[in-house]
Amino acid sequence: MSETMRIVQLYPELLGVTGDRGNVAVFETRLRAAGLDVETVRVGVGEPLPDGGIDVLVIGNGPLSAMRRVAPDLHAKREVIAAIFSAGSLVFAVGAGAELLSRGTTTIEGEHLAGLDLFPFAVTRSRERRVGYIVAESEHGQIVGFEDHAATWHLDAGAAALATVTAGGGSIGVPGAGAGESIRVGEAYATNVQGPALPLNPEWADAMLTAALARRGIDYARTREHERLDALARGARERIIALARVTQITAIGL
Amino acid sequence: MPAIAAGKLARWATRLRGGGSAFPGYLTNRLAPSLLPTLAGQFPYGVLFVLGSNGKTTTTHMISEVLRAHGLTVFTNPTGANLPQGVTSALLADATLTGRVRADVAVLEVDEGYAADLADVLSPRVIVALNVQIDQLYRFFETERVADMMLDAATRASHEVIVNRDDPYLSKIDETGLRGRAVFFGASAALVQASAHGLVNATDTRSEQAGIAARAAEVEVVATSGRNVTIDFRGTPIDIMLPARGLHYAVDAAAALAAASGVLGERFEPAAAAAGFGAMAPAYGRGEVIPLAPGRDDVVEFVMFKNAPSLQLNLDALEAAPERVLMAIDEGTPDISWIYDVDFDALDHVDVVSGEKAHQVALRLAYAGVPVGTVEPDVAKAVELMRALPATANGRQSWLVNYEIMMQGRRLLGHGDQEVARR
Ligand SMILES: [Zn+2]
Repeated sequence: MSETMRIVQLYPELLGVTGDRGNVAVFETRLRAAGLDVETVRVGVGEPLPDGGIDVLVIGNGPLSAMRRVAPDLHAKREVIAAIFSAGSLVFAVGAGAELLSRGTTTIEGEHLAGLDLFPFAVTRSRERRVGYIVAESEHGQIVGFEDHAATWHLDAGAAALATVTAGGGSIGVPGAGAGESIRVGEAYATNVQGPALPLNPEWADAMLTAALARRGIDYARTREHERLDALARGARERIIALARVTQITAIGL
Repeated sequence: MPAIAAGKLARWATRLRGGGSAFPGYLTNRLAPSLLPTLAGQFPYGVLFVLGSNGKTTTTHMISEVLRAHGLTVFTNPTGANLPQGVTSALLADATLTGRVRADVAVLEVDEGYAADLADVLSPRVIVALNVQIDQLYRFFETERVADMMLDAATRASHEVIVNRDDPYLSKIDETGLRGRAVFFGASAALVQASAHGLVNATDTRSEQAGIAARAAEVEVVATSGRNVTIDFRGTPIDIMLPARGLHYAVDAAAALAAASGVLGERFEPAAAAAGFGAMAPAYGRGEVIPLAPGRDDVVEFVMFKNAPSLQLNLDALEAAPERVLMAIDEGTPDISWIYDVDFDALDHVDVVSGEKAHQVALRLAYAGVPVGTVEPDVAKAVELMRALPATANGRQSWLVNYEIMMQGRRLLGHGDQEVARR
């Protein structure tokens, strides 16, 4: 098979401080293990998105200052990114990256950072920080990871959370069990789950890749390499699920 | 006034903790805040603060040894006791019943979150700003906040501010806002370029200039060969031996020479400074070497890390891929998302992965293509597995660990479980 899947990571320098390379590595490694060629393009501020097909777009997490820094460039790319959404390509956005693709973020000081309006939610930042392990039930099984944010996502009418929190805080609704976490629009996902999310959640990653390949008329073939990675993920997940119920982490380690 | 300052400090602590706590009462009732400024004023060579995301402990140790080599009696806070409570109780414990200090100088590592308020109480003559690196984000959330905390504290130094010229945020320090003089230190461009990932200081995400502002360094690392480095000190080359390998330690050493010179002024002697480094024992877990078992010749070299930059710089400092490797992280480091931001090219395998986060670490190594021998979350069992491996050609194992597992590992190897005051 010589099909090449093209992954684009947006702003890896400025929005890539919470292991966001890990999510890219999961797509790369699992696609290669499935017998595909992979081309990864990293796009920074002022650099153009590649012409032609983009199979996977990843945008990661960073501080508010980084959001401000990339915003003008991102808005200049709005048409291209909107086209990636409407083409049904896989989009995976984490934290600040997800906020930039939403309706926008209102900071504690009341400043509003406009988003690209591609995800149906708006964000308010608060002083109440949610830090610690998170476990949430979803159509892709139990999503586990680490959360570290002070962002509440307000969903548009008709939009629904992807997962329901069973341990941890979550981004949508009142923090705690029953809150919502992450959102899906077609093949575009926005999440506040770190860890990073995809190494810890291979079932979710495979669901995304299956759809991304189906769009190209290719079957996703899992191999023994996938099994090997997933056995380690299973061990990590078991530990996190056990700890998520009992661990309290204060935002400042005094 | 002192009571007001201490109250301010306590309020700041409360604010950071996000609610009420016993801490303010503890400070005002038990630590006699009115005494603190009095004590600080008694050090003939003043008080020095060391601030930074990484390297505070090492640099504090280096400065102390260089000053001792010049004949000074040094007061320093116990390793890691860098919050106001730790700093002030150490200071009060050291003072005699009459309220007199017995040292010539106080060299204090201080948590950047409290540095400005503590500076208002202790009036440092010299403040060292080592670096702004991406640390555990759950502490201060935004890297530029950490930078601002250090820059804000720096304005309080009465004599000199020792600043890392190779740090994007710190190199942009506003000299007009300082009471003291800014003294820049750094590493030569060639050395930074030769380092696999440079110095891993945080990108400046808020200004138009993401990298450093060009500054001339008065004290600069110009050559390294293993633990031997040459530092250009205002035109005079000083050859020193570091307690452990790595460009980051060399940069810390440059900061330490600049800081010691700031404290000593005309009394600073390059030869005495070099002698100070020669007398330095490695700090716990920072290049420290311990026998693998009592009576055995082969040793464990502890390589401690607490975040992505410190792990990356330690990996980059390896001479070659180590023959036997243990890597272990426990819940003392809650969020390890950042291990995916680290390049593991320096390792060709890891023998045993351990700690509560063993599977998370093994998973990261698997995605990095680094073969792993055994995943054993129980650290005691992991130590037994490492002991059972055949001896290496160079008689050495490398244990890459976070702070808590470094302490646990030392204990399991039969060494003391308390990291005590640096002499
Ligand atoms: Zn080996």
